[in-house]
Amino acid sequence: MVMSFFSKRETGLDHIVSRAVGMLGDARHSFDLATLALLTNTDTAAVEADIRDTDQRINHMEQQLRSELVVHVTVQGSSDIGSVLGMILLLKKIERIGDQATNVLDLAESGVRLAGETDTEAMLAERGLISTMFGEAADLLAERNDERTEEFATRVLAVVAEHQAKIESYLHSDRPGREVVPRAIYYRYLKRIVANLLGIVRTAAGPLPATQEDDKDD
Amino acid sequence: MTVVAPESQTRREMPTWMRSALVFGLIYAFLVGVSTLEQGIKIMGEDTQERLFSSVSNPIAGLCVGILGTVLVQSSSASTSIIVGLVATKGISVDEAIPMIMGANIGTTVTNTLVSLAHIRQPTEFKRAFAAATVHDFFNVLAVAILLPLELVTGVISKIATWISDRLVGTAGSEWKSPVKAWVKKPVEWIVDIEDAVGLSGNVLGTFVVFTGLVIVLLALTFITKNMRKLVADRVEKSVNTVLGKGSGSVAMLLGLVITIAVQSSSITTSILIPLTAAGVLTLRNAYPVTLGANVGTTITALLAALAASVPEALTVGLAHTTFNVMGIAVLYVLPFARDVPVRLAEGLAEVAVKRRVWAVGYVMTAFIILPLVGVAILR
Repeated sequence: MVMSFFSKRETGLDHIVSRAVGMLGDARHSFDLATLALLTNTDTAAVEADIRDTDQRINHMEQQLRSELVVHVTVQGSSDIGSVLGMILLLKKIERIGDQATNVLDLAESGVRLAGETDTEAMLAERGLISTMFGEAADLLAERNDERTEEFATRVLAVVAEHQAKIESYLHSDRPGREVVPRAIYYRYLKRIVANLLGIVRTAAGPLPATQEDDKDD
Repeated sequence: MTVVAPESQTRREMPTWMRSALVFGLIYAFLVGVSTLEQGIKIMGEDTQERLFSSVSNPIAGLCVGILGTVLVQSSSASTSIIVGLVATKGISVDEAIPMIMGANIGTTVTNTLVSLAHIRQPTEFKRAFAAATVHDFFNVLAVAILLPLELVTGVISKIATWISDRLVGTAGSEWKSPVKAWVKKPVEWIVDIEDAVGLSGNVLGTFVVFTGLVIVLLALTFITKNMRKLVADRVEKSVNTVLGKGSGSVAMLLGLVITIAVQSSSITTSILIPLTAAGVLTLRNAYPVTLGANVGTTITALLAALAASVPEALTVGLAHTTFNVMGIAVLYVLPFARDVPVRLAEGLAEVAVKRRVWAVGYVMTAFIILPLVGVAILR
């Protein structure tokens, strides 16, 4: 381990970014499993341990990377303090997504099942779309691209607006509470997850952005 | 990576090869400085040397001079290099130099103690920071309390250092043909010639040459540290992260040693630890072995300074500094029952300091200025 001083592995913010991309991969894994449990007949017990372990791993990594950011500022000085603050914010957003995926699992574990309903297919398609957005966010985190970021932001904001409209329609629906309440809660989680993905991409592009869509909810 | 670089980061940095070359140039300047210092004292003549250095013949006075000198220049690397220069002129003996070197070890801890005072407004942070800073103080004070009497009675440190030195460069009292001495000879001659040409002579010339040597040593060390810090910042970051992760005490100690050799300053290494401990990123027990490694690492500068000297005794003093620090670790860290003593003392003092913060300032003033001054005044 003393040889770490002489090794050539990546350091500083580059290292943090590559670990953050890994965390985002973990968050996607949790999201995929939790939504699968809610939207299909998958046994929740079969995925619970995996989701909770992944969430723990994300939380642990967030703490470790925050410590590494403190070390970075202490050793390198404050010349890139804006980026460091942005990274802290970004890591927090990934950690929140992990928590929100766990919230979806909690919903499934509470007995809610949205499998075999008239809107299940649409929700599964939406799940696939959001899962793809995780991949896009990871790409944009690993390699900055202003044009793609803007295009991504436009799509995310459209999805967020759509989710908000659905939440409002469920809140004012005449359908029974056992039908609309789980859907309203589910879409609220989805909206937060998608908004956090946009927050991650925007924070990577500009470390200290103004208030973002995801901040309004959290 | 995608994170946006702030404007200040886009400022053009010196290329690594150029900075490395600059560091080599600065090391050469440092060696010239040590040799100039030696030459200046030689010019002063034996009577003046006798008067100047008679005050350090008492070991406790020597210890206090070591503390005060290091607090003044804020660098044990600088003060021990100067001590090596003094030994090279035979102005002081190896036996007189060893307590001064021990004093330098204590004096250098003032820097991180001052750094910890920056957290004084946040009690929780301050408690952790002050404990992390003073654990270094307590270790060094305890090491001196144990090893100075042992050295005075048995001469064990000087014997070990002399034994190694004899094998490396020859017996004490002989002339050592250091190749480095030959490389720096010309610039030293130019400095003396320039000051001679303006009409200085005797003790005045000697004083000016000594002063020039001191300025060169201090400036060179300052810039070596500054540039080395930039050159190895990424590696230091990686190493600290290793200590944060799964590093054991011995790994932390070795990393403290390597980082300090690289940046040529134990104060840099130990001062990095203070904000990290204050923030709760590092624990006191993680930070403690790093400071011990830094204690040993900083002795490399005196060894380097000895290369510019012409007598084996200079190297003996440098080796005595290393031996003292290694023995300190053997006594206070390797022995399990002693390991926690500096940590507990530091935690106790931090507990008191956080309740009455003026005591923290009082501690710094008393330990690093008032007591050494009183010691010199009474015992000289």
